[in-house]
Amino acid sequence: MTVTTPAPAGSDADALPAVRAIGLVKVFGTIRAVDDVSFDLAPGRIYGLLGPNGSGKTTLIRLLTGLTRTTAGRAEVLGTAMPSRPTLGRIGYMTQSDGIYPALTAGENARFFAATYGVEGPAAVADALRVVDLGDRVDSIAGTLSGGQRRRLSLACALVHRPPVLFLDEPTVGVDPLLRVEFWAHFRALADGGATIIVSSHVMDEADRCDELLFVRSGKIIARGTGLEIRTQAGTDDLEQAFLRLGGDAAVNR
Amino acid sequence: MSGRRVRALFRRVVQEIRRDRPSLALLFIAPILVTGLVTFILREGQTPPVDAVIVNGAGAPGIAAAGVIKTALEADGGTARIVPDAATAEEQVRDGSAMLAITLPAGLGSGGATITVLTDGLDPSGEASQVAALQRALIGAATAITGASPPTIEHTTLYGTPSRDPISSFAPAIVGFFAYFFVYILTGVSFLRERTGGTLERLMATPVTRGEIVTGYILGFGLFATIQVALLMTWALSSLHVPAIGPLPDFWVGLGIPIAGSPVYAFLVVVLTALGAVSLGIFLSTFARTELQIIQFIPLVLVPQFLLSGVLFPVSSLPAIVQPIARIMPLTYTVEGLRQVFIAGADLASAALRFDLLVLAGFAVFFATIASLTIRRDVV
Repeated sequence: MTVTTPAPAGSDADALPAVRAIGLVKVFGTIRAVDDVSFDLAPGRIYGLLGPNGSGKTTLIRLLTGLTRTTAGRAEVLGTAMPSRPTLGRIGYMTQSDGIYPALTAGENARFFAATYGVEGPAAVADALRVVDLGDRVDSIAGTLSGGQRRRLSLACALVHRPPVLFLDEPTVGVDPLLRVEFWAHFRALADGGATIIVSSHVMDEADRCDELLFVRSGKIIARGTGLEIRTQAGTDDLEQAFLRLGGDAAVNR
Repeated sequence: MSGRRVRALFRRVVQEIRRDRPSLALLFIAPILVTGLVTFILREGQTPPVDAVIVNGAGAPGIAAAGVIKTALEADGGTARIVPDAATAEEQVRDGSAMLAITLPAGLGSGGATITVLTDGLDPSGEASQVAALQRALIGAATAITGASPPTIEHTTLYGTPSRDPISSFAPAIVGFFAYFFVYILTGVSFLRERTGGTLERLMATPVTRGEIVTGYILGFGLFATIQVALLMTWALSSLHVPAIGPLPDFWVGLGIPIAGSPVYAFLVVVLTALGAVSLGIFLSTFARTELQIIQFIPLVLVPQFLLSGVLFPVSSLPAIVQPIARIMPLTYTVEGLRQVFIAGADLASAALRFDLLVLAGFAVFFATIASLTIRRDVV
């Protein structure tokens, strides 16, 4: 099996969106967790999914990856309707919880997830661990790593097959500021290599590291644009204020 | 289904269990300790000697009968005392100085007389064996008085001998039960961790299929179950004599349980049972939110199986209503199959054993199917 490498930036892939949401709806009981969401995300860019806890970010990611059945609408990744097993092999998904096996070593964790993607051989594993600066902890039991190290291992497990599309659900929660800077530098490097990255966060100070922002409120995308565009649209320099101004009315009406 | 992915899952499960020392101890040492204890109790258990008081309401024939009873009880290490009246006898049973109060009625010598026995009623099964001992003593007494002995019963069996080691019908069932029990707990807990730790969510976002996950689990836990069963069978069947070394006395290793058939078939029965238990653990982990709840399923799922499977009570002696329930529980077929092999010496030529194996394989496949169906993509 071959390792999938990201499409080079600036190629004709620009024409096709890497991720598409077409009228996505997810209803749990009486709650519309995701409420008619549509967007196209271009390859090679970092998208920030911003919104408070419970706004529907995780559900939206789970719909896009095909982990949750849609109530209505459809999700497409790399031109394929989700869920699609072959396409799952080209997606990296870092869950909100670490999602690693505490009894295994860092190396065994990365090797296992690599194998589930059909990637074998020590090179990919060593690369992924080096990238998250865990190269010297290969043989450490994951359960004995610090919280930040576990988070990095979790990221390594999502990158080990070099996916062209990465969904990162609150990747920097519980990560110290220094490591956060490293994470973002790394995300940028992956995007420069052509990968499409969707990062969810409820921390507004991370927003300016994204190429584009999608504000999520009560299951709806209430605004989309670059940091500058959103500030201009809302007439404030503070993104937190901008969020409230752009979505505040809708939130109050509910 | 991809062989590579199944192999990766299998390897991961094995790595996880290998690191988990307490679970390994539970898997390998606990069943050996428990089967050893059960065997010891059944083999070395004793009937305590009977201390009786006798109220003689029968005059002269009663004195002779009391003498016979006394001789019989004393032969077993017990005692018998004559007390003047029923009130004294009852008082002695009440204060614990006597276990039985025997009243010999008037007209004892004339036939058809009823001897009454009073016990405190706190330990029905122990008292039943005391009354049985008394019954035997009375048959001796009757023979002594009338001079004619009643007919005796000679019991022979198709398989084994009637007076065989009590453990030989009990132990195979216990072996099967423990394989089931420990494998269920380990898989249940470990799959629950997969659900709650976020790794299942992550696995579902890879190309891995549900069938591959269940197969990987069955192979991984199946490996340890196989080692466990091999160890337990060796322990149950062997009897290795270790000679005295220095101050240490000589002793035996293993339970030395007789087996009429081939251990290979017994092994096959237990391994099929354990494979079913892996899938059952995965299936039930769907309904548990915490590891404690996996343990709470034991009285609900495992205890009824234990009670109905024929380990303690033969399935045919169960109330008619619960017999069909016993018939849909895998452990019933495990116990039946193991008894076929251990006692009747059955092999694949035996239709009964073939049926038990087939049913167990059917259960394993059935539980594997519903287990993989419960690993839904829609976890939330």
